[in-house]
Formats: sequence, structure tokens, C-alpha cells
Amino acid sequence: MSTANLDSTVDADLQAQMAHGAEHEEEDHRLFGFIVFLLSESVIFLSFFVGYIVYKTNATDWLPAGVEGLEVREPFINTVVLVSSSFVIYFAERFLHKENLWGFRTFWFLTMAMGSFFLYGQAVEWLGLPFGFRDGLFGGTFYLLTGFHGLHVLTGVLLQGIMLGRSFLPNNYAGGEFGVVSTSLFWHFVDVIWIVLFILIYVWQ
Amino acid sequence: MSNATLEAVSPSLQPQPGAPDNWRRFFSFSTDHKVIGIQYIVTAFIFFLFGGLLAMVMRGELITPEADLVDRTVYNGLFTMHGTIMLFMWTFPMLNGLANYLVPLQIGARDMAFPRLNAAAFWMVPVFGVILTLSFFVPGGPSQSGWWAYPPVSLQNPTGNLINGQSLWLLAVALSGVSSIMGAVNIVTTIFRMRAPGMGWFKMPAFCWTVLSAQMIQLVGLPALTAGAVTLLLDLTVGTSFFNPELGGDPVLYQHFFWFYSHPAVYVIILPIFGVFSEIFPVYARKPLFGYRVVAVSSLIITGLSLIVWVHHMFASGTPGWMRMLFMFTTMAISVPTGIKVFAWVATIWGGKLRLNTAMLFALGGLSTFLFAGITGIMLASAPFDIHVNNTYFVVGHFHYVINGAVVMGFYAAIYHWFPKMTGRMYYEGLGKLHCALTFIGINLIFLPMHPLGLMGMPRRVASYDPEFAFWNVLASLGGFLLGVSTLPFILNMLSSWAQGKQAPDNPWRAIGLEWLVSSPPPHENFEQLPIVVSAPYGYGSDEPLVANDPAHKPTHDLTEGVSP
Amino acid sequence: MNRRTIGVLVGLAIADLLASLWIGQQAYTWMPPQASAESVLVDNLFSFMTTLGSFIFLGVMGTLLYAILFQRAAKYDASDGPNIEGNVKLEVVWTTIPILLVIWIATVSYQTYDRMSILGPMEPLPMGMATAEAAPTDRAASVTSPPIQVFARQWAWEFHYPEAGVRSTELHLPVNQRAQLVLSSEDVLHGFFVPAFRVKQDVVPGREINFEFTPIREGRYRLRDSEYSGTYFAANQTNVVVESSEDYQDWLAMAAARSPFPAENVAFEAFNQTDASAIGLGWKTVEPAPAPLVNFASSEEDTYE
Ligand code: HEA
Ligand code: HEA
Ligand code: CUA
Ligand SMILES: [Cu+2]
Repeated sequence: MSTANLDSTVDADLQAQMAHGAEHEEEDHRLFGFIVFLLSESVIFLSFFVGYIVYKTNATDWLPAGVEGLEVREPFINTVVLVSSSFVIYFAERFLHKENLWGFRTFWFLTMAMGSFFLYGQAVEWLGLPFGFRDGLFGGTFYLLTGFHGLHVLTGVLLQGIMLGRSFLPNNYAGGEFGVVSTSLFWHFVDVIWIVLFILIYVWQ
Repeated sequence: MSNATLEAVSPSLQPQPGAPDNWRRFFSFSTDHKVIGIQYIVTAFIFFLFGGLLAMVMRGELITPEADLVDRTVYNGLFTMHGTIMLFMWTFPMLNGLANYLVPLQIGARDMAFPRLNAAAFWMVPVFGVILTLSFFVPGGPSQSGWWAYPPVSLQNPTGNLINGQSLWLLAVALSGVSSIMGAVNIVTTIFRMRAPGMGWFKMPAFCWTVLSAQMIQLVGLPALTAGAVTLLLDLTVGTSFFNPELGGDPVLYQHFFWFYSHPAVYVIILPIFGVFSEIFPVYARKPLFGYRVVAVSSLIITGLSLIVWVHHMFASGTPGWMRMLFMFTTMAISVPTGIKVFAWVATIWGGKLRLNTAMLFALGGLSTFLFAGITGIMLASAPFDIHVNNTYFVVGHFHYVINGAVVMGFYAAIYHWFPKMTGRMYYEGLGKLHCALTFIGINLIFLPMHPLGLMGMPRRVASYDPEFAFWNVLASLGGFLLGVSTLPFILNMLSSWAQGKQAPDNPWRAIGLEWLVSSPPPHENFEQLPIVVSAPYGYGSDEPLVANDPAHKPTHDLTEGVSP
Repeated sequence: MNRRTIGVLVGLAIADLLASLWIGQQAYTWMPPQASAESVLVDNLFSFMTTLGSFIFLGVMGTLLYAILFQRAAKYDASDGPNIEGNVKLEVVWTTIPILLVIWIATVSYQTYDRMSILGPMEPLPMGMATAEAAPTDRAASVTSPPIQVFARQWAWEFHYPEAGVRSTELHLPVNQRAQLVLSSEDVLHGFFVPAFRVKQDVVPGREINFEFTPIREGRYRLRDSEYSGTYFAANQTNVVVESSEDYQDWLAMAAARSPFPAENVAFEAFNQTDASAIGLGWKTVEPAPAPLVNFASSEEDTYE
């Protein structure tokens, strides 16, 4: 094939696309890939949720002997903190967008603190519970779901720590930052999952 | 990832992939999709031989009715590991290899979207392969619960050890899932975001369509399998009660988790092979792929349907009647998009100018076994009939006809077709045709007898059987040994052609496609300048050019300047 | 298309049809004896699907073979075939026909299923409907009441006739009466499968599954475990005897009069033998349950159809 008839066959549309092609560098792909990954990961939670619903609706003796139900008050406070942190992290991102690094760091750190508070609250709750993961289907699914989610919160906080550290490297966040965007996306994801979880486990008793 | 040193070496210093002097690259943490593709394929093929070897021992046991060649526990370990290795160590890595090698070339990209992720996903394959292999040597032997690992059998742990065949099996399968998800994220992103300028969806080769459809299944299905595997592992190791009926758990729920993924998995396996057929028939029939757009879209329909049919594996499991009828219908519906493909291939071949090269012969053989298996598949979908043949050799016959017939033959077709591109060498036609004949005869000789066996009521997964089944089993075993032997001409052909075959031209089959516009083997980043695609992919019999520039050479025109790095 | 092509096509279609009908008839001979009402229905369904399947298979393969034989490129002919990209009419046809075929096959299957009215495990009560074909005799009189209890375990089958107080490792059933069973397992999944009856049901531990079918032919048939259950799975087989009502009652009375003894059990015996001889080329296995204590036992020596 020769390049002679290039201009005649390549229309304007195509040329625009080609110019664009140069821009879509790794950065964009990474965000796209990360979203694909999150969608896929959500299916794990979905499977656990379905399992929980099936067990709960079919089980004959659902709660382990001697267990009345779950205390909702502290988990509810925990929930409020976690859900609000989604807004806080949003503000952090806005600050970064406006290139206000200290604003970013403050709010970003606040998010981490709220995430850690959630983890702490959950640890306290676990320690006070009268049943373990071997206590029937309820015990198993309860610890599986909250534990698996807790692992995600922990991952989120660690990722946020890394991003915070990186903000101190000079000029690191000059052109927007994939790491920050995806960490915050991950955080929202973890939040949404928790809301469903909270409804399934604590509200629907 | 610790490949900092590798990355630091500038690309120009790295030897050309596929060139004879740098075979070492295939043993390194390379990020070149072509090297990774070949790494996948070769690794997978080694495990195919391993899984096949286990099958040979099984056929040896089954040539007589008594359980005499190996102990029953050994037989049970053999078919479990045979099924597991063939699926997780052979088909998935093999298909990922093909996709890795071909997709960037076919869509006109210089590499995958995430080269390092790609390499990491590959290197997990030998890791869990070794874990599976090692499980033969732990006390109690490898997993013996079949490749489904249904509880409670999979929860019975006669040795009482924490590290036992079953827990290693679960670990390997979980790792395989992680690796496949990494691969899927990569491939989906690549196809969505890295198509060459001008390559709209309906200018993309059918193979890429099928790979995209297959990888989307992985993304939705694998997490469910992972969820099932994790919970089973918890039951096995720390004594939770999810699937353990003694503690109030529900073993049938595990089956739903398992088949929710493992049914779609069979379409993950077959779809890329459909893609291979769609690429090969036009080339050797010299005609465009008939109804290309519909064929392309039918892959996505199969993806959608594949997610809502899984209960057909559980018709006899403890499933209520409405479920049986519902899933019977959805399962049968799959024959519609599949039929569209089959008829399109026939119409592509019809009235063409056929050239029966090895690749074409394999593809035709694969198509015929697929058709047969598809029809027995529809029979299985019919719940009242399935209840008779479920868990008999009829099912084993059905799926080997697809998976050994269509998939393995389709794989061979692909290898012969793209061998010149991958290695820069031509293979020996004569040996190839011998290989094809032996494979085709072997497959029919071993797997056809399984159908009467199943109808007569011979269960699968048995080390011993009643004497009335002996006749067909002897035939099947002989066919099995022939099938084993049939791999020898292939190995011979590949090794000797790669070492000293005739130099291959860029486009030995006069095929249309971006991969055929660059040298054989392709240079490090595939294209000097990104191709500008101007027509649909199968323009046989027309004079329209595929691209508007010459991607194999540096641009002479400043128009493409923004595109080259 | 001219008249001749149409004529040839119609001729070929008829030939294909005739061949398929013939193959469909052969399908009956590939099956075990028809010993239950269900088996008649299943065999008809199978024959129907074999006919249809053969028609499709022969049609597609015939076309392909013709192309392979007669449409090859000449040796030095490097030209391309005609540039035909598709044909909407044709594509609509080959989408519609499979849709219709699928609806047809599904309908026939559904009807068969309905007439078999196999009791699903989640439907604990007999449905009492649509059993006319499958239960040829009067329903009220036909019930083997109370149901026979079937116990599956690693690796033995045991049948308990509660009214007569009989335990047996051989299943005896009166001919032409709806047999009612309750399946349960004490350890892992097993499968209740009698090829001659074309019925099968997984036995799920922790559940009691009601199961019924109607034997229509006297004789002795093989009963197999159909859901993989571990080491001695292959040996977990026994026999079903279908006999006349009188013989059945006689057998019950005879068995009830006997005192229980340990039945012959392949798994248990083989396990103890390997233990004694200790060849040790196998791996550690779950121990088989001891041979069941029964009033009547089947033997591996017994012949069956
Ligand atoms: C790549 C692998 C692959 C593929 C593509 C398929 C394809 C199909 N399979 Fe198969 N199957 C397996 C691999 C595969 N299968 C495996 C591994 C198992 C067993 C696992 C185990 O138990 O260990 C299995 C088991 C299995 C079962 C469970 C049986 C049992 O355990 O009791 C069933 C039941 O419905 C089934 C059905 C089908 C159907 C309907 C298709 C359809 O997709 C086929 C569609 C194709 C056609 C129909 C042919 C072309 C169409 C036409 C020419 C149009 C006209 C035709 C008609 C209208 C009929 N399969
Ligand atoms: C991709 C999938 C795949 C493939 C390719 C195969 C290939 C083969 N399979 Fe299959 N098989 C399965 C997937 C597959 N299988 C699955 C999923 C199961 C179900 C498992 C379960 O129930 O849990 C199964 C079960 C299964 C059974 C039933 C076991 C039972 O239920 O008891 C049998 C029995 O014959 C069998 C036979 C074979 C044979 C003979 C081959 C042949 O193709 C093999 C050909 C042989 C070779 C390729 C070996 C060549 C090697 C040599 C000649 C030696 C050279 C050696 C060296 C160089 C080291 N397989
Ligand atoms: Cu499934 Cu299938
Ligand atoms: Cu399937």
C-alpha cells in the first residue's frame, strides 16, 4: 500500500482521531482499566451478598444459640463516619484540582482518619461479639462479609497513605494524578458496598 | 514489579523478539506482548502434554473393567488433576497466549495497554502450575474430588493435614483466577482504547470480537468462582459451615457458585476458537467472512446468554422443576447465535476457492466436531433426557468433542496459520497433514464410543465398571493412545521448523489483516507508524486497500507525526 | 435459482430427512431396556432429538463436504473467490429456523417432563396431576405407602421398608405401581440412578428428597451411584428387582422373617484387604462405613439386564 493517496482516503474525522491517539497515553488506560477491575471486583461482593440472602432466607436456625441480634447503634455511627468520608475525599480532590496542595493534604488526611476510625470501630465491635466465625451460618457470613469489606477499607487507607506521601514529592501532582483519582474512586466503591452491607446485616435483622 | 533493570535497558538494545539468536528472551520477564504470547502458548502446551499423560494412564486403567492398573484413590486423583490441568493450565493460558500475540497486531497497537501487568499475569501461570504439580507429592495425594470440588467430598480430609491436595488445589485455582482477571482487565482495556486510527468496531477482526466477548465473561464470572473457592477454603481449613451440611451449611449453593462461573468458562474457551475459525476460513476459501457484522455481534449475544444457563449442570442436583424448565430454555437459546456463526462459516466456504492447507484442514475438522458436540449439547439441555445421561460418559463425550475436538483442533489450526508470523519460518506441510489426520481419527475413535456408553448408563469418574461396557472402552482407549501419539508429529514439526524451516515471507497466505503487513516475525513495537485503517477486515475479491499508509515503514508524510512516539 | 437447482435441493433435503428418520429409529436400540413408564417417554424424546440433530448434522456436513470435494482452487490459481459479504435474506432464514427448532425441542421436552412429573426435591408433596401416562394404574391404589426409605452412604445403598420392617441392600419394587422413595444421605452427595428407568436424582445430605417413578417391566436392573462420592464411588452399585405384586409381598414377608446379617459390600471388603496386604500404592482414603446390617442382601454375582 502506498502513502500516495493518503490525503484522499483519510478524512477529517480520522485525522482528529489520530491526533487524539497521541493523547491517550497510559494515564487514561489505567483509569479505564481500574474501573473495569472495580466492576469485576464488585461481583465478588455481589456473590457474597447473594449467598447471605440465600442462607438467611432458608436457614432454620439462623442466629447461633444465645445470640439475640446485632447492636445497631455503634455500627450506625461508624456508617455515618465512613459515608461522610466520601464527601471529604471529594473535597480533597477539588483542592488538588485547584492546585491547593495543603488543602488537599488536610482533607485527604481527614479521610484517612475517618477510615481508620471505622476500622477501629469495627475491631471494637468484633471483640465484643458473643459469637465467632464458626458459629453457624450467621457467624460465618457475618465475619466473612464484614472482614472482606474491612480488608478493603484497610487497603484504601494504605493507598491514601501512599498518595499523601507522594504529594510531598516536588511537582508530582502537577498534571493531575491517576493515583489520587483511582484511590478516591476505590474509596467511593468501598463506601457503596458498605451501605448495602449495613442494610443487609444490620437493618434487615 | 522488580523489572526496573529490564526497563532501564533501552528498547533498541533489546534483541528482536523471535530472532533465532535470542531465545533467552522467552525465559525472561519480557513485557513484549509477542514474547508473552509465545511464553503462554509454550507453557500451556507443556501442561497439555502433562494433562494428556495423566489421561493416558486413565485410559490404561479403563481398558479393562476391573480397577487394576492403579489404586482407586490414584485414579480419582488422575481425573481430577487431568480436568483441572486441562482447563486452568492448558486452555486458559493457551487462549491468553493467542490473544496476547494476536490482538495488538490485529488492532494495530504497539503493545498491550499494561505490559508489566501482562507479564506479571503470565508469570503466575508457572507458579500455580508448580503448586498443582507439587500437590501430587503431599501426603494424601492431590485433590480427589473432581474438578468441580463439590463439597462435602472436597471437605473430607482423610490425612487431617492443613496442607493437603485439596487446599493446594484451591490455592492454585484462586491464583489462576487472579491471573486471569489481570489478563482480562488488560485485554479489555487494550481492545477498547488502543485500536489503530480508523478501526471502528466494525472494522475490527472477528477474532478480537470473540476475545473481547470471552474476556468480559472472565470479568463477570471469575469473581463468583473466587467467592466460592474462598468460602470452600475457609470450610476446609478453619471449619466454617458454609457448605458443610453437618453444620447446617448448604452444599448445593456451592454448586451454583461453581457453575455460575464454570459454565460461562466453556464459552471463554470456545469463543476465541470461533474467532480463529472466522479468521482462517476466509483466507483459505478466498472469500470475505459471510455476514461479518452479525457474526461479530453474535459473540456478544453468546456472552450475555452464557451467564444465565448454569443450572443445566445441576438438573439432577436438587433443583426445583421450574428451574429445570427455565434453564433448559435459556440453554437451548444459545444454539441461535451459535448457529448464526456455523452457517456463516459454511456460507463463507461455499463457492470459494479452497486451499486445504494444514490450518484449513484443522479448522474444518474442528468445525465438524463442534457441530456434533453442539447437537449433543442441545440434547443435554433437554432436562428429561439429561436426567438419564447426566454424570455418564455421554457428557464426557459431549465435552471432549468440543474441548478436544473444536478447541484443540482450533488451537492447532491457529498455530499452523500464524506459525510463519510468530517464528519467521515455514512449517512442513506433510507432517502437518499427518498430524491432522491422526488427531481427527484419534478424537473420533476415543470420544464417539463414549456416547453409547453414556446412553447405556456408564457413570463417569469410575475406576472400575461392569463388563457390558468393556467393548466400547477398549475402542476408546485405543483411540486415546492414538491421540497421544498424534502429538509427536506436531512437536517434531514445530521444533524442526522453528530451528531450520524455510524463511517465511511477510504474508505467506496472502491474507488480509494488519498482522500480515509487518515483517515475520514482527519488529519490537510491531508498527513503524500506526496503521490507518480504511476498510472492513475481510476484503477478499475486492481491490480496496485495508490501510491508507504503510505501517511497516517510517512515515514519509508529516501527517502521522503526532502518532509516532 | 432455476427449476433444476430447486429440484436437486428438494431431493437432497428429502434424502437427508429419510436418513435422519432412520437414524432416529436406531436411537431406541442404543438405550438400556425400557423398564419404567418414564423410559418410554425419554426414549421417544431422545429419538426425536436424534432425528432433528441428524438432519442438521448431515445437512451442514453434506454442504461442507461438497465444497471441500468440488470447490478447491486449481493449483496455480491465485485469484480470489467472489466478493460476497453477506445476504440479509439468508441470514434472517438461518436465524429464524433455529429459533423455531429451539421452541419445538423445548416444547417437546417440556411436555415429556410434565408427563414424567418427576418430583423435584423442593416439592415435598406429590403433585397428583399429569401423571396419567407415567402412572398407568389407578393412582390411589398404586402408592407403595409409606414410601421406601433409601439411605446412601460411603459406600453402600440400603433400603428400608418401614411397614414391613425390612432392611435390604437390594431394592424390590412391585411392577406397574408408582414407586415412592425418600432419598437421604448420611455423608456426602450420592446419586440414585437406574439406567433402565431413565431416572436419576442426587441425594443431598441434610435433606430428604421425595422421588417417584413407575416400573413397568419385571426383571433385575442395575442401580448405580451417579454423583461422585469419593474413593470407592465406582463400586457403589446394587440391583433393583421389579416383580409382580404377589412376588413382592412374598419377598417382603420372607425378608421380614430373616434376622439381620452384614451384607456383601465391595468397598468395605476392598478397603480391609488393602489394609491387610498394605501394597500402599494408593493414598489415604476416607474409611468406608461398615457393611450394612440387613435382612436381605444383593450379591455382585447376581445377573441383571
Ligand atoms: C468449550 C466447551 C463447551 C462448549 C462450547 C459447550 C457447548 C454447549 N454445551 Fe456443554 N459442556 C462442556 C463444554 C462445552 N459445552 C463441559 C466441559 C461440560 C461438562 C463439565 C463437567 O461436567 O465436568 C459440559 C456439559 C454440558 C451440560 C451438562 C450435562 C450434564 O452434566 O448433565 C449441558 C446441558 O445442557 C451442556 C450443553 C451445552 C450446549 C447446549 C452447548 C451449546 O453452546 C452448543 C451450541 C451449538 C450448536 C447447537 C451447534 C450449532 C448450531 C446450529 C447448527 C444451529 C441449529 C441447531 C439447533 C437448533 C439445535 N453442556
Ligand atoms: C481442555 C480440556 C481437556 C482436554 C484437551 C482433554 C483431553 C483428553 N481427555 Fe479429558 N477431561 C477434561 C478435559 C480435557 N480432556 C475434563 C474437564 C474432564 C473431567 C474431569 C472430572 O471429571 O473432574 C476430563 C475427563 C476425562 C475422562 C473421564 C474420566 C472419568 O470420568 O473417569 C477421560 C477418559 O477417557 C478423558 C480422556 C482424555 C483424553 C484421552 C484426552 C486426550 O486429548 C489426551 C491426548 C494425550 C496427550 C496430549 C498426551 C501426549 C503425551 C504423550 C504421548 C507422552 C509424551 C510425554 C511427554 C513429552 C512428557 N478425560
Ligand atoms: Cu454450564 Cu454449562
Ligand atoms: Cu456447559
